[in-house]
Amino acid sequence: MKTNHMNQYAVHAILILLTAACVFPFLLLITSSLTQEQAIVRDGYSLLPKAWSIEAYEYLWNKSTSLVKAYGITVTITIVGTTVGLLISALLAYPLSRGDMPLRGTLSFIVFFTLLFNGGLVPTYLVFTEVFDMKNTLLALIIPGLLTNGFFILLIRSFFSTSIPVPIIESAYIDGATEFKIFYQIVIPLSLPILATIGLMLTIGYWNDWFNGLIYVTEPELYSIQNLLNRMLSNIQFLQQTNIGGNNSTAAAGLPMNSVRMAMAVAGILPILCVYPFFQKYFVKGLTIGAVKG
Amino acid sequence: MKKKTTTLLLSIMLVLSLLLAACGSSENGGSASPGGSGSEAGANDSEAVELTMAFINLGTMSDVAAVQEEINKITKSKINATVKLMPIDIAAWNQQVNLLLAGNEPLDLLVTSSFFNYSSQVAKGQLLPLDELLEKYAPEIKNTMPSEIYNGTKIGGSIYGVSSIRDVGADYGMVMRKDLIDKHSIDLSGVKTFEDLGTVFQTIKDKEPGIAPLVQSTQTGTVAYQMYTPQIDPLGDSLGVILLDSNDLKVVNLLETDIFKNKVTLARKWYEAGYIMQDVATTQEQGSSLVKAGKALGYFNNMKPGFEAQESKTTGYEMTSVHLSEPVIQSNGASGFMMSVPRNSENPERAMQLLNLLYTDAEVMNLLANGIEGKHYVKNEDGTIKLPDGVKETTYQFNQWEVGNNFLTYVWEGTDKDIWKQTKKFNESAKVSPALGFSFDATPVKTEVAAATNVVNQYKVGLESGSLDPALIEEYNEKLKAAGLDKIIAEKQKQLDEWAAANGK
Repeated sequence: MKTNHMNQYAVHAILILLTAACVFPFLLLITSSLTQEQAIVRDGYSLLPKAWSIEAYEYLWNKSTSLVKAYGITVTITIVGTTVGLLISALLAYPLSRGDMPLRGTLSFIVFFTLLFNGGLVPTYLVFTEVFDMKNTLLALIIPGLLTNGFFILLIRSFFSTSIPVPIIESAYIDGATEFKIFYQIVIPLSLPILATIGLMLTIGYWNDWFNGLIYVTEPELYSIQNLLNRMLSNIQFLQQTNIGGNNSTAAAGLPMNSVRMAMAVAGILPILCVYPFFQKYFVKGLTIGAVKG
Repeated sequence: MKKKTTTLLLSIMLVLSLLLAACGSSENGGSASPGGSGSEAGANDSEAVELTMAFINLGTMSDVAAVQEEINKITKSKINATVKLMPIDIAAWNQQVNLLLAGNEPLDLLVTSSFFNYSSQVAKGQLLPLDELLEKYAPEIKNTMPSEIYNGTKIGGSIYGVSSIRDVGADYGMVMRKDLIDKHSIDLSGVKTFEDLGTVFQTIKDKEPGIAPLVQSTQTGTVAYQMYTPQIDPLGDSLGVILLDSNDLKVVNLLETDIFKNKVTLARKWYEAGYIMQDVATTQEQGSSLVKAGKALGYFNNMKPGFEAQESKTTGYEMTSVHLSEPVIQSNGASGFMMSVPRNSENPERAMQLLNLLYTDAEVMNLLANGIEGKHYVKNEDGTIKLPDGVKETTYQFNQWEVGNNFLTYVWEGTDKDIWKQTKKFNESAKVSPALGFSFDATPVKTEVAAATNVVNQYKVGLESGSLDPALIEEYNEKLKAAGLDKIIAEKQKQLDEWAAANGK
């Protein structure tokens, strides 16, 4: 029994350390966003800054039109993307999970194939911009995310085929239910954990996506919040690493200060933090069921 | 096997379609240019077109649509074309420009730069040669700048970009807080070389504890870098340089030059004496923000006329400076920032007419550089401009050094009124590198450059800021050689010789 206790302590200690490693940077982020700019440069980042200030948030507030717009874009693409993505994934995964589906192996292989190979950046870009003419549209921020989720489809398929007994489906069929009715009245309600999990992953994916914005969007009107943040940070990085003549500091003068960058990051994470607890219980369950048995 | 064949077929088709697309548009470019005659002819009678102009953005550009509308009013009547301004953040620049040039999107004018793969863009045929177009549609541009700058963008004998008119050269020295210099009555008139600064640093170190006498402007603008650069031409990446004093085109290894060794040793001496901020090699802060926070006296930088005023604005302290080198124009003086016409353009001749306006039309240039009068700036009585009352932050911030004839634009309050005159004089007085106009194409030695860059990242800041013992130069050099520095230098020499032959140097 005693060794067991020791084990417990060791495990707890490790977990506490891991938790601290996750929480500490986050706390630091919040306090630095509330630190006076001069204090950051002078004394460095600290959990208990010598001079507090909300000037960073005031700055953001003054810029609120672009920030609100960016929030609007992010929320829109997240909601639309998650809903549509979930629908497409489930609708594709369900037939793949059914043993009596013709060409099941081939279709599964095609889905699996997209996990290993993709068209590469330039061809993808050309297809989206020239064939579909999506450059600088909201669609460019949504569609690419919908097409690259082979992993999610396989996850949902495994859940369907392992957790939903075939006899239930057969009995519904005998009772006269159509395929579609079976899907949305029996399969979907039984699959909430996996759907919530995939939903959360899609949400996080869309919320954090900046890459599509980076390559498909040049209009500031369409910047999402992560895109805005990423651009700001890379601009700063660029200026630090490149010497573009005597103009460096003029250019730098237009960039936000340390504390503002932190405040922007806080603004970027906050909403997702609020959503997370509601998904969490499904998240753990869905992931373990979908992954381990699959 | 079957799948493989399909994939192969698909990729061949893709390559073919790309090639076809490329041929198609260059044909357009070729056949369109002989069409018009004279710069005005062929403009007003033809139908209206929209020209897309992509440029580097670094600040707030939320009013770009309003400015675009105003510019269009002028361009519509002058060249019967409208402009679509496409600001691209510097962070996304390489990526988006690569994609834009790979595709077939409308793009008529593009900022190009030797910092951003100018030579490989030309090598890939993504930019149009401009000589004929310039001759026909923008003959006045030639007269707005010195001929060595105008011709300084040539590759293989053709002009592929038109340099912006700005401070094409730089002199090197130190900017510092004037209040501290005055407070301790330090006499700067005796400071003629970098070595002379030692006594200034000593005074500040003794009398102002907590303030570092010297910091770096950026991580790449190291202490030693700012001291040796006026004597060399880094030919882009400093991997293989030429010495300006020797006045010939022999590429040498920077690390083996006395200039480099001396300056690194000097930086080390200062660092050990406590003149240089001790964590200078690792700080992420720019020199100007360290001064602003009251942590530093000043920093070395490359300078231009009006630099003190500019830095005073950034740091919040009145800054004074010592200029410790003559102005030099290095190989990228002209090709540092240019305007090119990509092969995507369907109307290269109209794009050239628009470019002509950027060099000759003060109204267009002021709109582009400063925004709309009354909204983004108001005029003072003396001809300078300032933000309108009650406006704290502009909603239109254009980085005007990258585009057009800046000498046509208004000067902001706080900057010397005849700053453009001074800049012109400064450019004319500068020592010109014999390699001006040479732009190194690193593609043939890509692997070596990547490996060498990793080594540079490992040693450069530490050594050149004085934080590391100069004895490590040996090790640095050996590792660079192991990474293929000799091969890079040989390739650079080869390209430089070819360039010199093509340009009759």
